[in-house]
Amino acid sequence: MTSSLREKICISLAGLLFMTAIYMVFVYAPTERVMGPIQKIFYFHLSCALVTFLSFFTAFVSAIVYLIKKDLKWDILGAASVEIGLVFTTLVLATGMLWGRPVWNAWWTWDPRLTTSLILWFIYGSYFILRSSVDRQEKRAVFCAVLAIVGFVDVPIVFLSARLWRTIHPVVIRAGSIDMAPAMITTLIVALIAFTCLWGLLLYQRTRTLTLAGRVRLLERQLDGEGI
Amino acid sequence: MSGFWILVRKDLHAEFRKPEAVISMAFFGFLLLVILNLAIPMGAEISPETGAGILWVAITFSSVLGLARTMSREKENCCMDGLLLSPMSAESLFGAKMAVNFTLMLMAELSIIPLFFILYGDTFFHSLPMLVLVVFLANIGFAATGTLFSAITAGTNRNEALLPLLFYPVVIPLISITVKVTAMIFQGAGPVEYSSWLYVMTAYGLIFSGLGFLLLDQVIRE
Repeated sequence: MTSSLREKICISLAGLLFMTAIYMVFVYAPTERVMGPIQKIFYFHLSCALVTFLSFFTAFVSAIVYLIKKDLKWDILGAASVEIGLVFTTLVLATGMLWGRPVWNAWWTWDPRLTTSLILWFIYGSYFILRSSVDRQEKRAVFCAVLAIVGFVDVPIVFLSARLWRTIHPVVIRAGSIDMAPAMITTLIVALIAFTCLWGLLLYQRTRTLTLAGRVRLLERQLDGEGI
Repeated sequence: MSGFWILVRKDLHAEFRKPEAVISMAFFGFLLLVILNLAIPMGAEISPETGAGILWVAITFSSVLGLARTMSREKENCCMDGLLLSPMSAESLFGAKMAVNFTLMLMAELSIIPLFFILYGDTFFHSLPMLVLVVFLANIGFAATGTLFSAITAGTNRNEALLPLLFYPVVIPLISITVKVTAMIFQGAGPVEYSSWLYVMTAYGLIFSGLGFLLLDQVIRE
């Protein structure tokens, strides 16, 4: 299965959007007065956080659909989105640390949002340990779906409990107002759109790879004479 | 509901005849209380936060030993197939296993908590009545989460070794709230100050019991 023309167009469009986002972040957007250039990491930080949320929400929904329909393609979609979500959670934590070192003078603090992201990383990391410990496909799919649901339901409780520590995380976007210059807001929106496109592409490619890998395994088994 | 009581009685009966779960839980709990003493400077008075942390780390780490047993026991000799063939619903199976886990944890705590007071000073002793309530609420949450996850790990090829890896990330919020509330109780704070956290603990217990009731059926049929 080679990539079709439509895919090529999608990939080049996303690439173009990304170049625009990078240009706007480094050239178009003004430099923040107090923090200086380090503030620019914020555009990527928030975009990664958005992708993380999209991924885990997709995993939650596809887990529910799988448990109702028992169609393995939903399991593959769930696995692909957790994979992507885990990568982007790592990026959120990494970009946050890079920003926190000069601004807070610490790589890490036990702030609610930081703690929540870290615990999320653990929950969805254990998803892959679980995935590698079950051999039969249907069983693995059900177990992983249950973990994806439980993990997602746990997130608000994690955040609530993490509020026990005092917060120093900046609140940039409050309900009704954004504490940013207009050029920064435009840049942020472009960055968010670029990352959402990247997320869609990654999810599509990863789902397809996992589906093909499953089909290869099936063919291998048939060749071994085990039958289905 | 008759199946519920039969299963609870069966499990507790097996536990009383050969108390492998409770003994290993209590023993490991004692061991942790002693090991965690290393974290405290020599001769220093321990703060309420440290005390609460030590107590709950000992309880939660030791509880995993018992939580893993209740479900994996049914895998031996294909008992799970028998349970699935019986007219008992998955909901009452979950309820029964959760009740058993709750009881096992309570029995282990009955020996860990007094030992904690002996080893770490009876200055916290005034907090016992409220501590009972906290233990009760925390146990519901731990038992509900642990029952669901031990049903999952019993079906994997790594068995009980996998439970801590899945269980702890999900119960971290419950552990942190429990430690905080316990520390406040040790400090002598009034119930008004921490009542909202008790509601959160109750909510956690209800949410995870609900998830268990809904999802256990899917897990054990695989």
